[in-house]
Amino acid sequence: MKPANLAPFLVAPLLVLLALPLAAADIAAPPAPEPGSVSEAEGLDAWARIEAVVSHPRCANCHTGPDNLPMWSIVGEDKTRPHGMNIHAGESRIGAETLACQTCHVTSTAPNDVAHAPPHAGIEWQLAPVEMQWFDKTGPEICAQLKDPERNGGRDGDGLVEHLIHDAEKDGFVPWGFAPGGGREKAPGTFDEHVRDVQLWVAAGQPCPQ
Amino acid sequence: MIELSVNGETRQVDVEPDMPLLWVLRDELGITGPKYGCGVAQCGACTVHVDGMAVRACQARIGDLAGAEVLTIEGLGAGTLHAVQQAWIDHQVPQCGYCQTGQIMQAAALLDMNPAPTDEDINKTMAGNLCRCGTYVRIREAIHAAAAKMAEN
Repeated sequence: MKPANLAPFLVAPLLVLLALPLAAADIAAPPAPEPGSVSEAEGLDAWARIEAVVSHPRCANCHTGPDNLPMWSIVGEDKTRPHGMNIHAGESRIGAETLACQTCHVTSTAPNDVAHAPPHAGIEWQLAPVEMQWFDKTGPEICAQLKDPERNGGRDGDGLVEHLIHDAEKDGFVPWGFAPGGGREKAPGTFDEHVRDVQLWVAAGQPCPQ
Repeated sequence: MIELSVNGETRQVDVEPDMPLLWVLRDELGITGPKYGCGVAQCGACTVHVDGMAVRACQARIGDLAGAEVLTIEGLGAGTLHAVQQAWIDHQVPQCGYCQTGQIMQAAALLDMNPAPTDEDINKTMAGNLCRCGTYVRIREAIHAAAAKMAEN
């Protein structure tokens, strides 16, 4: 395939994001703790809760590695397995090379209330960048990755919190993970608790377990 | 009232915003090429194009489609047969035919993106379109034939 043929689809998500109206929802992060006001032990406690979220299949299933295969967690099954239908997200991570994720996972802020139907969000369905692989990674590996601007989209600690809020403003994947609907298993805790935990972890200096 | 383009014509529909596009096409506009198969995007029989991309019409809510350009099998050839449709005839692809409009729309979208797909490309792209008659071998042959025909033009 000519790379140029992918261009419209590769830039489309960015263009759509730029075209979206500003925050429809009134979402704001709570005041962040002062840097240094949270002990390393408290920061590690917060990280343990963050790790439980980011390593949960509801979140990690779309943070897969360079095989570009999304994973599935089926209601009633304990084991995660590759997405059915021979789905490959490709190097584009949005399926542009073959079958676009959006062919089934339409972009919509409507509730996800139908069991077994493909879930959707207010932003284009996609795998996270491969640098952000969580699936099959250990907690310490994910921790090191999340504090590394080379792999986390150039974000400092405050930038990570802003990322969560920005995603929520778009009805994105993060709040969806805590309320996936349709009988799907949710990530542990709530979105607000997750934001607070990230704030605590950042204020503690982003400590990682050994 | 929601306005969108369907097969090049501006259409207005007065329906609930959560009505699936497939219902709008079939029940409101009388466009019955897209078929109802599973209702949960697991079969591909309802595939249409929305703004140039293959989409399962059972999943797209009409409230999200104001201003969209929708193309169904009825408008694919714009008055003649699209190369994929002609290849489908030449290779006698369908058996019962129920899934075939979705298959053709998915195949046309594939060739828009990838004018010379390999067998692997086709397998990956078409895997979400089920055919219980098992016409997959002819589907693949027809897509290759359509690609070759389109490359001549």
